[in-house]
Amino acid sequence: MCESTPSEMASCAQSSGCPLTRLLTGSTAVLALLVFLAINFYAATKNTQVGNNKLDKSWVGWAVNDFITSAERPNVVFLGSSLMLVPLSGNDANYLHKKLDGSKHHHAQYFQDVLKKRTGYLASAYTFALPGEMPSDAFMLTNFLLKDEKQPDVIVYGVGPRDFMDNLLPSPSATDPFRVLSQLGSIDDYASLFLPDWQARLDYELGKVFYFYKDREKITGALFTQANNYINKILPAPGGGKFSIFDRRQLLPAYHPAELEIGEAFFRPETAADKKRGIYDNLAEYRKRYKELKWDTFLTQMQFFANFLDTAKKRGIHVVVMAMPITEVNRSLLSDRAWNIYMHSVKALAQAKGASYINLHDSGAFQVTDFMDTVHLSPDGGKKMLDYLVETIRSDSKTLSYLNQNKQIETTTLAQTAKRKGNSL
Amino acid sequence: MLFTSLQYLVFLPTVFLLYWICPHRLRVPLLLVASYVFYMSWRPIYGLLIAGLTLGNFLLVPLITKAQTEKGKKWMVALIVAANLITLGIFKYATFTVTCLKDSLDLFGVAWREPHLHILLPLGISFFVFEFIHYAVEVYRGKPLVKSLIDFSLFASFFPTQIAGPIKRYMDFIPQLSIPAKFKWEFVDQGMNLILMGLFKKLILGDNLALAVEAGFAHPANFGSVDLWLISYAYAFQIFFDFSGYTDIARGSALLFGYKVPINFNLPYIAANVSDFWHRWHISLSTWLRDYLYIPMGGSRRGEWKNYRNLFITMALGGLWHGAAMHFLIWGVFHGILLVLHKEYQKICEKLGVAKTLLSSKVYHWASVIVTFHLVVIGWVFFRAENMNIAWQMLSKMFMAPVDLMHFTANQLNILQIRDPIIFPALLIILPILMVSQVVIDWLNNKSIYQSPPWALQVGVMVALMCVLTVFSPDTSPKFIYFQF
Repeated sequence: MCESTPSEMASCAQSSGCPLTRLLTGSTAVLALLVFLAINFYAATKNTQVGNNKLDKSWVGWAVNDFITSAERPNVVFLGSSLMLVPLSGNDANYLHKKLDGSKHHHAQYFQDVLKKRTGYLASAYTFALPGEMPSDAFMLTNFLLKDEKQPDVIVYGVGPRDFMDNLLPSPSATDPFRVLSQLGSIDDYASLFLPDWQARLDYELGKVFYFYKDREKITGALFTQANNYINKILPAPGGGKFSIFDRRQLLPAYHPAELEIGEAFFRPETAADKKRGIYDNLAEYRKRYKELKWDTFLTQMQFFANFLDTAKKRGIHVVVMAMPITEVNRSLLSDRAWNIYMHSVKALAQAKGASYINLHDSGAFQVTDFMDTVHLSPDGGKKMLDYLVETIRSDSKTLSYLNQNKQIETTTLAQTAKRKGNSL
Repeated sequence: MLFTSLQYLVFLPTVFLLYWICPHRLRVPLLLVASYVFYMSWRPIYGLLIAGLTLGNFLLVPLITKAQTEKGKKWMVALIVAANLITLGIFKYATFTVTCLKDSLDLFGVAWREPHLHILLPLGISFFVFEFIHYAVEVYRGKPLVKSLIDFSLFASFFPTQIAGPIKRYMDFIPQLSIPAKFKWEFVDQGMNLILMGLFKKLILGDNLALAVEAGFAHPANFGSVDLWLISYAYAFQIFFDFSGYTDIARGSALLFGYKVPINFNLPYIAANVSDFWHRWHISLSTWLRDYLYIPMGGSRRGEWKNYRNLFITMALGGLWHGAAMHFLIWGVFHGILLVLHKEYQKICEKLGVAKTLLSSKVYHWASVIVTFHLVVIGWVFFRAENMNIAWQMLSKMFMAPVDLMHFTANQLNILQIRDPIIFPALLIILPILMVSQVVIDWLNNKSIYQSPPWALQVGVMVALMCVLTVFSPDTSPKFIYFQF
């Protein structure tokens, strides 16, 4: 008769000669592992939710959360990196004569007004341009968010060479948008593209098997929130706490670097002093980004660009691809071959997938005085860009036809849907 | 490949399975191959370094026994030790030497444009060079040679202890290789237990304390005197959990294959004096320094002053072994001074006839523990600070703490102002718990429930550790941070 403790059961099992019995009862470690696996499996099958659905405080978190909770369906969505974000929001600050909080300002106000003025079209324009956004991020945004009752009519996607050739990008899964957006849907179909490295792939597959591993960010967030509440009760900050996010960044620059607090980053109206300052030299940064071109990054991001165009087309969203202008001095960092491949590939793919294509770089409309550094347009440059865009749309019957589609969805229905999902920050 | 990486999570079970399904004669070669894979996963070219040093020592050390005279033997062992030290010196201390030379010339107003030496420090070199030196000296002292190159190679490169020790003794390790061990589940149980505990210490305790430590040591001007004491206490525990955690994982990994490697830590912060501390902290290093530096210099056998000199030099060089920088040397010198002062203090107590009385007093014992802990913490400030300026800045502020405590208010504590990360205010709760835990564990060590807990408790603890470690496992994947406004 086998006794109750594993060691006793083990000797019994060993005498019984059954390897499985020996395996299960002969080791506390193996037993612990089996119990651990069972807990994970149980939690996964019960779809255990820890914490809430709050997205974290980052550029992408704020933008996504605002989009999800808004009752409005935008007609136009802007995608792109800071090449789009800076002129769009910088120009809005000038236009509205006030500083705009980067965590909250997600509408392209100037574009909406000038589009109405020049074309008569009423449009709501949402900005999903994010710092460092890659085509892989633009694809995830489109795939997971720009659909159903929130599907826009038109996407305007401003691209630059860095978007496809950033030497500092370890892999498509290394971006902050990936970290946040991968919580909103499955990337299984594109896992090999997002996760070319075996360790990243293993990390991803482990997350599918182990509940605690997959949701560890949510779980740790919930635990730290509880710990915060407890410690704030028993050890309150004297004088209410004067330590700001800026103070923290001085002390711990590498701690949550992608975090963005309300009131931390502003687009402000350009002053005369700003204009006098001239353009900022960020060539050293771009030398690192372009220095050794990684063609695997280029090809992967081009694939994502194609996937993004396909997804938009399948859903009936019209895409306007804009090759953003950059200064000649920045352009000269790239070899002619790299530049030509980038320009021709973007144009060819855009046109092959039925998108409209605008080559702002070769338009002759932009001078060096329209830039605030060697790649980013200044607010005035942003105004010029949007005026050019609106003029182009005005004469592009295809884009106009998409804007003219009367997709009347009740605002109240959207509000009800948002309320049901319970998403809020 | 770090012990806390996904790579190791794949590597270790794979090697474990292959090891136990292999016939015994293939196990040591398998471990040797695995150890070289482990080492070369960092930088393949340095596999040649460890292989070259291994072969060199294996071929040269027998020449010690073949020397005809005692003088010949001494010359041979001195040559081999020198060759090992020169290799270590080139890789570890060349840049430091050049910097010291330049600073010295600057003092005399001599301008010298120092060469930029692009020497990458090979991982673990300090450990395996010390193991080679230990082997050479023990053979000189009459111990037997290792006949098998494979066994010797594994001794130097054994992956659990390769990067951060413990420093092994060949007479303890190599005989284990020839025992045709049968698989036992207790290898798995004990090994997994140690690995899980080690990971908990490193990832949960050490890494979280590191946040407060990093801020405090990088920006001491932002903190008050009491803050800096708390941050220094935090560092004392961070370095303990990091290092002892790593040792636990090393010992646990070795146990999975049925091998025992030395323990390295024995509750160092309940040491009653500095000498006791060094019997509890990095034990494999302190015994190595005793056996191959302190004793060969004469130890305590050549009079009081020579004893003090030997202690001082041993600790100074021990400090320098930790890193090629002035603040490590100063840390070692500090401990050397403390050890000398401790010897003098013991002599005074004996002269006064109070030694026995004091030793039997529990109040005196715990007061000694507290004083010793604070002396060690002061030493850690030198160890952790990036340079002497920061160390002095911190210590000069910390020494004002008694004055500041006289009119202490919570407002003086800047750590209470910082709410994210929450570790800052939490130090006031966590640090006392950690300090008391050392005492509690010491008390529990003699209890059977701690030595052989019931199986349900063992399983429960392991499950809890697995859950916690899974949740808190670090995301070490490289990140793309574009820019911050």
